[in-house]
Amino acid sequence: MQIVVGVADMKISSQPQQLVVTHALGSCIGVAVYDPKVRVGGILHYMLPESSLDEEKGRQNPFMFADTGIPQLFRECYKLGAVKHRMVVKVAGGSQVLGGPEHFNIGRRNYAALRKIFLKNNVLIDNEDVGGVKARTMYLEIATGRVWVKIIGQNQVIKDL
Amino acid sequence: MSLVPQVLRSLKNLPPFPMVAQRALLLLNKPEVSIQELVEVVKFDPAVTANILRISNSAYFGLRREIHSLHQALLLLGTQELLKIIIASGATRLFSAPTPGYFTERQGLWRHSVSCALMVDLLSREISLPDQATGFTAGLMHDIGKVVLSLFVEQKFHEIMEVVEKEGVPFQAAEKIILGVDHAEMGGEMARMWDFPDRLRLAITYHHLDKPEAYTDDLTLLVYLGDILTMMFGQDLGADGLAYTGYPEVLRHFHLREKNLQKILLQFGSAWDEAQVFFGLMGNQDGVQCANRG
Repeated sequence: MQIVVGVADMKISSQPQQLVVTHALGSCIGVAVYDPKVRVGGILHYMLPESSLDEEKGRQNPFMFADTGIPQLFRECYKLGAVKHRMVVKVAGGSQVLGGPEHFNIGRRNYAALRKIFLKNNVLIDNEDVGGVKARTMYLEIATGRVWVKIIGQNQVIKDL
Repeated sequence: MSLVPQVLRSLKNLPPFPMVAQRALLLLNKPEVSIQELVEVVKFDPAVTANILRISNSAYFGLRREIHSLHQALLLLGTQELLKIIIASGATRLFSAPTPGYFTERQGLWRHSVSCALMVDLLSREISLPDQATGFTAGLMHDIGKVVLSLFVEQKFHEIMEVVEKEGVPFQAAEKIILGVDHAEMGGEMARMWDFPDRLRLAITYHHLDKPEAYTDDLTLLVYLGDILTMMFGQDLGADGLAYTGYPEVLRHFHLREKNLQKILLQFGSAWDEAQVFFGLMGNQDGVQCANRG
């Protein structure tokens, strides 16, 4: 059964029959985490790097921003028994339009924000597919922890992360 | 081999532009539109009238009162909003065919087009331009060329993508190289056949800013930015992904900084949720499924 993660949204699951999916990542970032021991995982799909842009919105919906969404993603997994050092972390998205990086680089900023949070908290990224001009859809299979990315249009290319 | 003759031949079967939307387009040029004129435009099309009531009562406008009649809708929403609704509900039919060259989902193009229209509205607000139905309409129609070009892009997708990847050119430039015509030019040609107002036709033709003429009208620049921001937002992205050029000079022209763009994306998140009623105008199962996504 598919569980869809919208834009600025997060879904956590411990149900082995569930497939968590987030569609069409542009400059947004999808973060998939998974603890193989307890088989708990989830995907966060955030839009923007920092909640300082609009703190009220960040409180209403922490999943809009990297700095409010990522801690929440981990916390919700802990509640279902996941343990930080066992968690596998995979990242996709952060695309950019062509041309100079000037001004249109929200994708890159989104990625930078994530790296900063992970560095501060000693979290390693196990695998990633970020940047470029591609539109991606990200999947996480709860039974196995398998994460893969579909590049929209490119003959349904599937890349395992 | 150029496909141009084949592509142009396919234009011969171009359906007419829906009458109600056509008449509403003509009103875009008028500085003042009377309620009576709008009523005249829609009164013979019960489907459009039904859609007007549906959209007027949706979360998009968030009115406290329920609207029961066309007249009431006109009074509460004003002519510009009404024009948007009439054009959107009238034009839906043109977007009903799938466009597999660009979108895997059947309604992908419609969803992208509505998103761009909403984005143009948000941009206009951010830079304090009057929120006119012209911007919304241009956003809605900017990619209409994809309806016709899809078939050809589908056949040659891999060649087009190869040019994008090897030469680092934007998607529409690669279309031009491989097919001999790109979706923006195609849209411009269709707009000519449908007798669209000139500003609208030019915004469609130049919305990727790849010709100097593009810079003659702010409307074109707004549609360009709306399109780019819609791609960045991501949802309902097509096979062409974000393979278009970002021109910082357009941001400078409108005095927009990256923070402004972030704010607009933030607002768009809620606008997109509230606009599900537009996405649902096609009214089939596909639409219901999509509506659950947000």
